[in-house]
Amino acid sequence: MTRTQASVRTNGVLGVVLGVVVVLVLGAATRFLEKNVPVWFEGDIAKAVEYPVYAIVLGLIGNAILTATGWRERLEGGFRTEFFIKTGLVLLGASINLKVIVTAAGPAIIQGILLISSVFLFTWWLAGRLGLDDRLRALLSAAVSICGVSAAIAAAGAVQARKEQLAYTASLVIAFALPSIFLVPWLASVLGLTDEVAGAWIGGNIDTTAAVTAAGALVGEDALAVASIVKVTQNALIGIVVIALTAWFAFKVERTPGARAPGIGEFWTRFPKFVLGFVAASVIATWYLGTVSGAEGKEVIAVANDLRVWFLILAFVSIGLEFRAGSLREAGWRPVAVFASAAVLNLVLALGLALLLFSGFTV
Amino acid sequence: MTEPPTQQESRTQFNEDWAATVIGLVLLVLVIVGVIPPGLIP
Repeated sequence: MTRTQASVRTNGVLGVVLGVVVVLVLGAATRFLEKNVPVWFEGDIAKAVEYPVYAIVLGLIGNAILTATGWRERLEGGFRTEFFIKTGLVLLGASINLKVIVTAAGPAIIQGILLISSVFLFTWWLAGRLGLDDRLRALLSAAVSICGVSAAIAAAGAVQARKEQLAYTASLVIAFALPSIFLVPWLASVLGLTDEVAGAWIGGNIDTTAAVTAAGALVGEDALAVASIVKVTQNALIGIVVIALTAWFAFKVERTPGARAPGIGEFWTRFPKFVLGFVAASVIATWYLGTVSGAEGKEVIAVANDLRVWFLILAFVSIGLEFRAGSLREAGWRPVAVFASAAVLNLVLALGLALLLFSGFTV
Repeated sequence: MTEPPTQQESRTQFNEDWAATVIGLVLLVLVIVGVIPPGLIP
């Protein structure tokens, strides 16, 4: 290794460590504000503002300061939204009884298949009509129909998309997810939806998993549980979509000579493993709660819930820190129009399916 | 010409998936066996 390479690597590791420190400090500030603002300011508004709001706003403020001082790019390796949200979701599994996951899995799979296929095909079609590149079409369709940034990353690997297409799609996902975190819970309240239906709507409609948990947490614990089950189900279906995309690009778009059809190994490689952790945590906690008294079990699971809230806060802070408005301006209006149209279709379809499939459901 | 996503990026993504699963479950087990007691998490 040359001296320059060693120096770059040291800077990289240091950048990641410092980035994580920034996320932790903003996370601690979020916890501080969440506990103290209702004490400082009396009234319903101060009480109603919950940790996702503080975390995202502090993340965006941190983003602006780091960008202005030129530190953002050096530290961005530590803004691990995906890692934080997935660890938080595994811990969330501990607070959901296995019976609830098993009961909700059926409607969640039906909702996932119908939503993903209709929104994916609509986005693919509209992006084609507006003349977008096939790879960007694949990224936008996967992102808006499945699970946002992680779906876009998986699709980018399948279709060999360019880095700037991935960065652009990720920015678009976050730009739409941020207002949805507040808009969808508000609409659910205006429409008088039950917490379970609101959760299913949030899980089916909002793209990125971190934003789904933020919106679910704003509605309440039951909504968060259903929203997470619906979103985790969509995450699990990503493997199937990625296999289909890989085959489509190999045989139809690029017509690679001698290309092999992707098999079960490809499905396992693409399968989001945290889904297994989410179910395993529910199995462990359900078993544990059956072996101890109700009060003791509640106290112990509350500790797991505190840890979960910490990881979710770190994920929401990272969303704010990662947001890039610049790459949105570079790509022009057409991808934004495609994404916005698909988001509206997703909003309406997800509401219809949530009402149809989750109306009688209770956590 | 611009470059496609690297293998490294895909690998990081999958490692993060496993890391989240393992860390989440280890934390849960530590909570259940009492290594992380009530009141410790701020």
